Amino acid sequence: MSEIFVDKKTYPHGDFAIWIIVYVELLTFGLLFVGYAYSRRVNLQMFNDSQLLLNQTIGFINTLILITSSYLIVRGVETIKTMQLHHRHEASMHASKWLLSAMILGGIFLVLKLSEFSNLFAQGITLSTNTFFMFYLLLTMFHFMHVTLGVVILYNLYRKTKNQGYTPTDCRGLETGAIYWHLVDLLWIVLFPLVYIMH
Amino acid sequence: MKLHAEDIFTVLVVLSFSAYLIGYLELFSGLFAVVLLISTFVKGQLISDYFMDLKEVEPKYRLIPTIWLIIVLSLVSVAYILPVTT
Repeated sequence: MSEIFVDKKTYPHGDFAIWIIVYVELLTFGLLFVGYAYSRRVNLQMFNDSQLLLNQTIGFINTLILITSSYLIVRGVETIKTMQLHHRHEASMHASKWLLSAMILGGIFLVLKLSEFSNLFAQGITLSTNTFFMFYLLLTMFHFMHVTLGVVILYNLYRKTKNQGYTPTDCRGLETGAIYWHLVDLLWIVLFPLVYIMH
Repeated sequence: MKLHAEDIFTVLVVLSFSAYLIGYLELFSGLFAVVLLISTFVKGQLISDYFMDLKEVEPKYRLIPTIWLIIVLSLVSVAYILPVTT
């Protein structure tokens, strides 16, 4: 019987499918980011005036939240990957706390975004108000849906980790979920300066 | 030098705070615009390399997010730099 030797460093962590999703999402958001930048050129003053209605501080707090949650997930995955099997219970409980903290931060992000949305809607702003808000709401609501899915994924990862469902050699599901959350973080890293800062 | 998750996290926070300051103090123009775009690229690359753990994998996988960042940020830069004709 022939053996297949695979260098673990050759391929990215997580399921292959998650990387297809990552690349498709990057392409989709990339097109929206570029579309936003070029639409702004046509309506420069309107974009600048509309941006003044956004709260940069909440945008920055949300950035910190996503960065911190990504870091917490890195720690959670690291804890599972470096655990010794005779300490499986302690390590799993420890990792589950990292994941739970990340999930809570994801929840806070969603609450802050909802408050931003409700504030804008209260001012009568909708998708059809102008091109800026069409892009703003499209980009941030699309991202919001990704964060919502991410929180659901984190909840499942948390439960499985707490039930000692992962070991250093069997944690592909955990890695896959982590990659998805980092994607959400990566997209926000570009979205935040583009929509909130650059004008 | 091996970077730890804490190092990456700290750099990301510092760069994000500097981006926020650029916006808050309304400094977005000229040199600060370039700084903001470069810092966004650096943040994206750090997340891709260290959080997504793509630093050690084959270049073809690692380069996709890098190329994405370069293309998107370059096109955005051009859109902001080119003079607007009315």
